[in-house]
Amino acid sequence: MKDIFQRMKDGWKTSSKQVKLSMFIMGAGQFCYGKRAKGILFFLLELCILYYFFSRGFRDIAGFFTLGTTEADAWLGIEGDNSVIMLLMGIFAWIVLAVFITLYRLNIRDALRMQRRLEQGKQLESYRKELSRFLDKKFYVAALTLPVLGVLVFNVLPVVFMILIAFTNYGGDIVPPRLVDWVGLANFRKLLALSQFAPTFFRILGWNILWAVLSTALNYFAGLGLALLLEKDCVKGKAFFRAFPVLAYAIPGFITLLAFKFMFSYGGPINQLIVGNGGMAIGFLDLDAKWTARLIGLLVNCWISTPSIMLLATGILANRDKSLYEAAEIDGAGRWKQFSKLTLPFMLFSTLPVLISQFIGNFNNFGIFYFLRGGLYLDGYFLASDTDLLINWLYNLSIDNNYYCIGAAISIVIFIITSILSLAVYVKSPSYREEDTFQ
Amino acid sequence: MKKKKGFWHGMDVCVTYVLLFAVAFVFFFPCLWLILASFSKSGSIYSFDGFFPTEYSLASFRRLFTDTALYDYPQWFFNTLFVAAGSCVIGSFLVILTAYTMSRFEFKARKPLMKGTMVLGMFPSFMGMIAVYLLMTQFNMINSLWGLILIYSAGAPLQYLTQKGFFDTIPKAINEAARIDGATSFQIFTKINLPLSKPIIVYTALTSFTWPWSDFILPKLLLKKRELYTVAVGLMALDETEFARFAAGSVFIAVPIVILYFVLVKNMVNGMAQGAVKG
Repeated sequence: MKDIFQRMKDGWKTSSKQVKLSMFIMGAGQFCYGKRAKGILFFLLELCILYYFFSRGFRDIAGFFTLGTTEADAWLGIEGDNSVIMLLMGIFAWIVLAVFITLYRLNIRDALRMQRRLEQGKQLESYRKELSRFLDKKFYVAALTLPVLGVLVFNVLPVVFMILIAFTNYGGDIVPPRLVDWVGLANFRKLLALSQFAPTFFRILGWNILWAVLSTALNYFAGLGLALLLEKDCVKGKAFFRAFPVLAYAIPGFITLLAFKFMFSYGGPINQLIVGNGGMAIGFLDLDAKWTARLIGLLVNCWISTPSIMLLATGILANRDKSLYEAAEIDGAGRWKQFSKLTLPFMLFSTLPVLISQFIGNFNNFGIFYFLRGGLYLDGYFLASDTDLLINWLYNLSIDNNYYCIGAAISIVIFIITSILSLAVYVKSPSYREEDTFQ
Repeated sequence: MKKKKGFWHGMDVCVTYVLLFAVAFVFFFPCLWLILASFSKSGSIYSFDGFFPTEYSLASFRRLFTDTALYDYPQWFFNTLFVAAGSCVIGSFLVILTAYTMSRFEFKARKPLMKGTMVLGMFPSFMGMIAVYLLMTQFNMINSLWGLILIYSAGAPLQYLTQKGFFDTIPKAINEAARIDGATSFQIFTKINLPLSKPIIVYTALTSFTWPWSDFILPKLLLKKRELYTVAVGLMALDETEFARFAAGSVFIAVPIVILYFVLVKNMVNGMAQGAVKG
């Protein structure tokens, strides 16, 4: 701490008048050094940001903590505070503040560089030279500014917002114009202990984990098996056979899902065939069709995801070291031995990151049961059905039924589960640790 | 050696082909069903004889494009095309740029950024939807197709890992050689690396086109006017009695994508495999 203080003091002493000016007014130093356009640009930026802070930024930051103080009252004609917008704009104000500080540092460093150049007796860089330096050495700054800003506003901000919502009482009756408040960990307590939420939560969690494991394994081995099948030397017309999975891969997922829903519905072709042969129509996706519906979900998901795994596996299998297999053949290793000792380890090594993302994707597979069996609320579940995954429950709670804070708490739980699982595997995986081995 | 195994080899070939035909059937049948259903005359799924319609005609397609009072399919189609094309151009550009930078440059924020995006990717995908919705109301972008494009492209760089994996496989020596010859980073990127990365560009463009093309959550949340619907949202609003119209609409929207996939499948496999090995 003292060290930083000392360095700041030294920096203050050695910096020129112009740099000191820059510390107070952005761009002033640059202006005095003769770089008028740049100085004015910096100054205008500062003016804009300051204008934002004085017009609403400071208020937003205060609102972030209070979440509103005056409740709307139609009788008295009071237009109250909207807590949720206040929270959102509060986070936004923090982001602007961070950007502002970054810009400010940039401005001082820029002025310092000018000072050093002049002290060394060099000319100041021309704009053209500066631009080319920016596109060359600092290419990564130029390249990443836009993506990072976009992600900050449209991905980080919403996620932070939802994390914070999990610690408020937003939802149910308490939506604007009512005032929302910070409540600490109350939502997590409700989720894990309250009789309204807890049984549903643990039931869905159990099924969710089972689903993720089963469907990932099924898709992976089906895709790998298919790729190996197509790789065989005896198969003629590989392109022909490969075309069918690619066709399935290319059709947008929601179409497939809706089509399968039609196929298994009461009036659908399968039931028509059953009825036509004198049987009773079966409600494959009906209220009490717990395991048939789950099985259908599993198979439909397999239909959708296998082709992509197959394509991936085909590409990777092409890079296999063929000599290993010849050696194994000479040593008398059978086909199963070759698969379990050579192919599988190689594939697992190469596709581990993909496997993890598949697992997370399946854990959070929203579409399957939303389309096949969406909108069902069963007894024994709170606003969910026995095929719903946590993500479907989250959707039901927060988007359809306004239980925002509980929904946010669930998403944090989902996040904790998936991140612990995959971080553990990922950090241990060779493809992360030895990132540079092949370069 | 081979001769001795003659019988078993024959069996093996047989079983392989049986399996392959079974797989082909499993994948093809639902597609065929949907395609034939789109040509059904009556239009309702209840009039089918088993899987297939009893009479065929082009009526569903005609109705799809002419009977637009309730379900304005042509308009939905152009909305979808606009959003998908826009997000494809902007999104691919951002992803490629991000992936290349992350692959080629060493800087302080690199590892934190990589870890950060990984953590961000682990949050449930539409966890922040409510916030996005509120944000869009603040920016006055509800019921705006540009708003959708903005969200899709802004989120695209998060999916940079496959592309980074691809760039990792291009030898760094090329860059160093070019640098010695006096090329700037910008030139190295545009003149040397981009031409080498056709497969991954194709892969990126295709995935960032198909995602908005078939997404339904975001448009459903942000587009409240019927004439602004995308096809996914519109088709979901169709009734069960309108099965043939659904089928026709689906076929019509699936065909361009399917053709694209078949034309580009080679690029896809290369790009995906190279990216995934190191991803």
